[in-house]
Amino acid sequence: MATRRIASLFGRSSNSRHFLYGSRYVLISFVTWIPAIIFFNEHVGEVGIINGPSMYPYLNTSYNESIAKDLCWINKYNPTGNLQRGMIVAFRFVPISLSPCSTAHSFSLRNRSPESGRVAIKRIIALEGDEVQTRAPYPFPRAAVPPGHVWVEGDNRDRHKTLDSMRYGPISMNLITGKVTHVLWPWKSAGPIPWWQFKGRTKVFKARKEEPLE
Amino acid sequence: MSKFKRLQGKYLGHPLRLLIATAKGVAAAHLFSEYAYSVSGTWGASMMPTFEAIHDQVLISRFYRGGKGIVVGDIVTFDSVVEPGARVIKRVLGLEGDYVLRDTPGDSSTMVQVPQGHVWVIGDNLPYSRDSRHFGPVPKALIKGKVIAKVLPFKERKWIVNGLQPAG
Repeated sequence: MATRRIASLFGRSSNSRHFLYGSRYVLISFVTWIPAIIFFNEHVGEVGIINGPSMYPYLNTSYNESIAKDLCWINKYNPTGNLQRGMIVAFRFVPISLSPCSTAHSFSLRNRSPESGRVAIKRIIALEGDEVQTRAPYPFPRAAVPPGHVWVEGDNRDRHKTLDSMRYGPISMNLITGKVTHVLWPWKSAGPIPWWQFKGRTKVFKARKEEPLE
Repeated sequence: MSKFKRLQGKYLGHPLRLLIATAKGVAAAHLFSEYAYSVSGTWGASMMPTFEAIHDQVLISRFYRGGKGIVVGDIVTFDSVVEPGARVIKRVLGLEGDYVLRDTPGDSSTMVQVPQGHVWVIGDNLPYSRDSRHFGPVPKALIKGKVIAKVLPFKERKWIVNGLQPAG
């Protein structure tokens, strides 16, 4: 008796054909939005998750206290335009190592497929034309940043906790997919990122500002 | 006819609805040209005689995005390593781990190994090409597709066949 009443509750005022038509309409109107959402995420902006301790203490401040990850807003509009020293950028990560090293960290990266489309988030330290005074994993004492490239580093002081240009050299600007402009989570650090206040410890010999050619 | 009438009733006199539908259509077309197929013009003398310096249109398969399934001899399109915003078409001459000649043949005999996640690209027209001899290996992540056919001019239409594969 009860089952019949429940069945009649679901079947009330609709036969199965009517139900199918209704759900089809909902499904189609949802599917047509998917290209628009992908377009938005690729060219306007996207919410990004910060993985790992490489940007400590600025991002993932509590990485050694909890498994919570910071959320940030990545601005995807004109990603290679107007790049400045100190900006935090997201870029397509190419897992290579300039110096042959046998740490477990780099080994695990080597086994991962390079086509996996991983995105890394690091801070721009030097722009094209600059020269950088390098540190330990880099095989040479000085590095010149070639045209169309930038030098990126994680904020973490421990060189084993960040995989950056000290290991793989300058990266092409066209690999950059967006600029990290806001922290969204946790609440206490949410807000715009004041990248212009950043003072790095890497010594950068800045290129002289060139006059635009007429 | 009744279908057309229904569409007319849905969009005519509803400018916002029409705008949203147009935007969704544009996004879908953009997605198709980014991830499926697109037609693009060639520019520059670096790939002569495979492509003329100007006015050639080629069909690009985007399923090879990120260098997936690329082999030696394929013609790929990628974002320039040195120039932000520029798109380049070149031929792949070495995959990761391969040893390639660093300079123009005859200049030196220095060989370099292509690093992991990179390819070595060279233009078909050696004296007029700026390629891996100048800017080094190209990250696979910059590869946006593979050129599979020449579509315009119509008389010269043809599939691009990889001629650098071992016979049999």
